[in-house]
Amino acid sequence: MEHRHLLPDEIDQLLDGEAGFGVAPLQAHVDACPACRAELAEARQVVSALERLPHLAPFPLFADRVMAQVQVFEPWHVTALDSIKRWVPASRSARLVGIGATSVFALLISVAAVWTAVRLDAFLFFFDLAGQRARAALFDAVGSAIANTFGDAAVDALRTGGMPAVVGITGFLALVVLAAVGLRAVLATARRRRT
Amino acid sequence: MAPSLDLANLPDADVVTLAQQGREAAFRELLRRYERPVFSLIFRMVRDREISEDLAQDTFIKVLNHIDKYRPEFKLSSWLFKIANNVAIDHLRKRQLDTISIDGSPHAASAAEVEATSFDLAARQESALDEMEARELGSAIERAIARLRPEYRSCIMLRHVEGRSYEEIAATLDLPLGTVKTYIHRARHELREALEHVKGPGQRLP
Repeated sequence: MEHRHLLPDEIDQLLDGEAGFGVAPLQAHVDACPACRAELAEARQVVSALERLPHLAPFPLFADRVMAQVQVFEPWHVTALDSIKRWVPASRSARLVGIGATSVFALLISVAAVWTAVRLDAFLFFFDLAGQRARAALFDAVGSAIANTFGDAAVDALRTGGMPAVVGITGFLALVVLAAVGLRAVLATARRRRT
Repeated sequence: MAPSLDLANLPDADVVTLAQQGREAAFRELLRRYERPVFSLIFRMVRDREISEDLAQDTFIKVLNHIDKYRPEFKLSSWLFKIANNVAIDHLRKRQLDTISIDGSPHAASAAEVEATSFDLAARQESALDEMEARELGSAIERAIARLRPEYRSCIMLRHVEGRSYEEIAATLDLPLGTVKTYIHRARHELREALEHVKGPGQRLP
């Protein structure tokens, strides 16, 4: 080592700051040899100049332009989970209060369900009665509307067989409207979350 | 209400997981972290701001649209640099573009375009003198880098600008470790020779 200058690979080893058994003699040689010391110093200057090179920035709207071409798909379970998480309070005390309130509510619902099961006959009777009255009221309202629009003959024709179909179609349309409103609400929530 | 996630403090792997769940904020965070390193690597490979922006854009679109295929055992930055290097090399092969214009795009047709496509090397300097010296050296080293072979360029950039280890560079560029070491050694040697002309006799680099 004392009789020759460092090889390029050895200069690289020192330049990369490698540690190990073989590096100590190299460093000792550099300390003793002005030519190799100068060689290493020059190499270090180049590395230092490289390391000072700045990162360059693309134009300011670069990220927006990229995102315009990236397909972001949020799976339904992530949306659902996030919707639930948004209702979970942040602080521990608020969470405890929330858990307590939910437990009380669940208990009340359970008691109500048991009580309802015990009193099922009475409930069925009242439901049946309420159903009959609602049906009669609906028939009267629809009948009046049809009578006003198409005349009494149309009402008679429907009573002989068409009224169940009318009620079925009305119910179906109501369900479709409700489903559309619900879907719109879900989409609006997803849009708000993305922004 | 639950607090929103502080993405800036999460490691890459966690941000990628959130991106895989379809969170746009996670995609933007990855862009924020890597737009400059990726753009810088590509710019120093192709030497044209407009083309570099297009290639950097292609890189991110490829990576972010296939984020579900990301393998956690591979560093995200390595994946990004790999794609960035590939698009830059492909472009260079197509165009055989190996000239440099540190002061602006070689495709600029007017003084205004030259100004618009130039970049500020001395943005971090404190005084006018420092700025001038840094610009001189910066320009010299940028020109020297531009004269390197493209494969040397990407290796030396990843090693000394991005601070990657030899092993990471080998994995990123799909090259044998020995080849990476050789490329970096030759690149350093060529840069030293090129910068000899910038320094006066016996002078040191600033």
